[in-house]
Amino acid sequence: MKKNPFWKVINGIGLLLLICIFALPFVWMISTSFKTLGETMTFPPNWIPNQLLWENFSKAWNSGPFLKYFLNSTIVSVGILILQFATIIPAAYAFARYRFKGNNFFFGVTMVTLMIPTQLIFLPVYLQMSAFGLLDSLWGLILPFASSAFGIFLLRQSFKQVPEELLEAARLDQASEWKIIIKIMVPMAKPVLITFAMFSFIAHWNDYFWPLVMTTTEASRTLPLGIAKLREVDGGVAWNILMAGNLILVIPILIIFFFGQRQIIRAFVYTGVK
Amino acid sequence: MKNVSRFAWLLVVLLVLTACGNDEDKASKENKVSADSGRTEITYWYAFGDKIGENNENLVKMFNDSQDEILVKAEFQGGYGDLHSKTQAAFAAKNAPEVTLNEIASMGVFARSGMTQDLTPFIEKDNDINLDDFNPGLMGNSYVDGNIYGLPYLRSTPILYMNVSMLKDAGLDPKGPKDWKEFEEYARALTKEGTSVGMSMPVSIWYFEAFVGASGGDMLAAEDKEVAFNGQAGVEALEYWKRLSQEGILKIPAGDEASAQAAQDFANGRSAMIFGSTANLTNNLAIAEENGFELNTAFMPSNKVNGVPTGGANLVMTAGLSPEKQKAAWEFIKWMTAKEQTIYASKYTGYLPSRLSAVESEDMQSLYKEIPQYKVAVDQLQYGKARPMAEAYPEISTILADEITRSLLERDLSPKEALDQAAKLANPLLQ
Repeated sequence: MKKNPFWKVINGIGLLLLICIFALPFVWMISTSFKTLGETMTFPPNWIPNQLLWENFSKAWNSGPFLKYFLNSTIVSVGILILQFATIIPAAYAFARYRFKGNNFFFGVTMVTLMIPTQLIFLPVYLQMSAFGLLDSLWGLILPFASSAFGIFLLRQSFKQVPEELLEAARLDQASEWKIIIKIMVPMAKPVLITFAMFSFIAHWNDYFWPLVMTTTEASRTLPLGIAKLREVDGGVAWNILMAGNLILVIPILIIFFFGQRQIIRAFVYTGVK
Repeated sequence: MKNVSRFAWLLVVLLVLTACGNDEDKASKENKVSADSGRTEITYWYAFGDKIGENNENLVKMFNDSQDEILVKAEFQGGYGDLHSKTQAAFAAKNAPEVTLNEIASMGVFARSGMTQDLTPFIEKDNDINLDDFNPGLMGNSYVDGNIYGLPYLRSTPILYMNVSMLKDAGLDPKGPKDWKEFEEYARALTKEGTSVGMSMPVSIWYFEAFVGASGGDMLAAEDKEVAFNGQAGVEALEYWKRLSQEGILKIPAGDEASAQAAQDFANGRSAMIFGSTANLTNNLAIAEENGFELNTAFMPSNKVNGVPTGGANLVMTAGLSPEKQKAAWEFIKWMTAKEQTIYASKYTGYLPSRLSAVESEDMQSLYKEIPQYKVAVDQLQYGKARPMAEAYPEISTILADEITRSLLERDLSPKEALDQAAKLANPLLQ
């Protein structure tokens, strides 16, 4: 397609509109987080608050042990990611590269788990965790997610695309299977791994349902539960404090995106063998 | 580069290990303390954060400091819905808290499924507790099949909030409307096309209960075998809503955030009146002051009679405890609902004082003198009615709310038809 100035402008306007649609709720959240409660209710809403009420943030932060929530969220999200990498990489490699009896069957079973909603199996898993004595502990939040069918699926597809010749060459040089995984497969699948890591991290960072079910004390609660507590009032919700809490919740993800952005794009651009 | 990443991994692993380790240390330390002092340890789960959460934590701390035989751990569990489902799950996993809260309409479900303890024997054996001192308007939901399963704790009732500045502008008495006829006149006088409506109200079954009660009817027939809301009183209530809404003097916001929408309308002066729980009073006073209007409260308007639902939660004990834990749980429940604590909780949260002696106390009386808006709700309690406690009531409420909304939106769907349809869907759930 030819790039004449007219299309460039149209293109630009389209993008601008898209940005507005996606950014609007965000801007509203940020603006609300600085307002007084009365000002959050005015109509039409003020985009720029009359005064910047920084104390909303300290109120949100002090409404519970937020440092503890923050640490718990980090430990749980990162812990899950580590365990998932440790399980899905070998599993995907086996499914993609080994011919063994029941390969398709087991892969099918793995895929079926994708179709079962958490809400359906939470009670048995809850009782199992209770039997292990892991209720209300960080392990109880991490272990049920130690592997991921979605991750195995994604990674298997990308492992399958690695040319067989490369592996044969490596085997001729007497590389062990582990070495093949670490030195060849993982670097080749880097974009997929990074994508998966982002998905997994964000999903578990934001996860509300499972921590809600599993935890009963502040010692093991995560950030989304701390934020939800701001909404659990019998009476009016203090939207300004709630939005300040939300901002605290999303800032780490924004930072990761901010610094990771270039890495992610690079990972997508340099994909393996050309 | 490689070293850096290896270091990062090591750091993460260490972080995980130390964090998990810390928790264990703390847990064993806590156990030791209780073992050393020989105190009976019980857990208490509560709903809601903010002021209500602080009130719970403060009271529990006061209780623990007041004696050295029982040690209560208070733990927040979310809203009523979360609290209930977590209590049920924990009961199944055999680690339920000894004391918890039941939203009053759920008292029946918990008692009949054997999850909560019948408190009647404890009350009969104990000379310290005087049941007659509890406000009778709040006791309706304490009884399930003739036995007492819970004592009133943080309780509320819906009241009418009015923007007095708008009332004065329209030349109306700031005391507010008394019955449906006056309420309608108020709403009409306060509606200014394009700028404000008389009333903004989400379709809420709690308010519908108040309107049915005011018409002298009930939501469910005796013994909860079938619904009664499609009778004369229910039809009259919905016809009233529909007429006001079609005239444009009653705005019915829809959707998940309907309540928030109504609250927002009121805060901006786009609606002159709203209904709300007594628990909103503190917040509403603050908003009114900030947005520069005067606020008053009044009874829910009456029709043939006065009859309002109450809300909030009762304190309950879970079933299947050892005698030692039962004794501790009972002592705690008794202490939490005693006069002094009732006064403390009511002043801290804005909920109703559940004991008559607490209402009479100097503390409460001086508060009522200072902020007379608080008193309306207490006075209204003389007309308090129990909420239905049938197991299927939450589901029936959803069905009913849908049909009511449909009738309000569709001009041709008459209130009687809509309520009959809801009854047809709801009755099988009660069999």
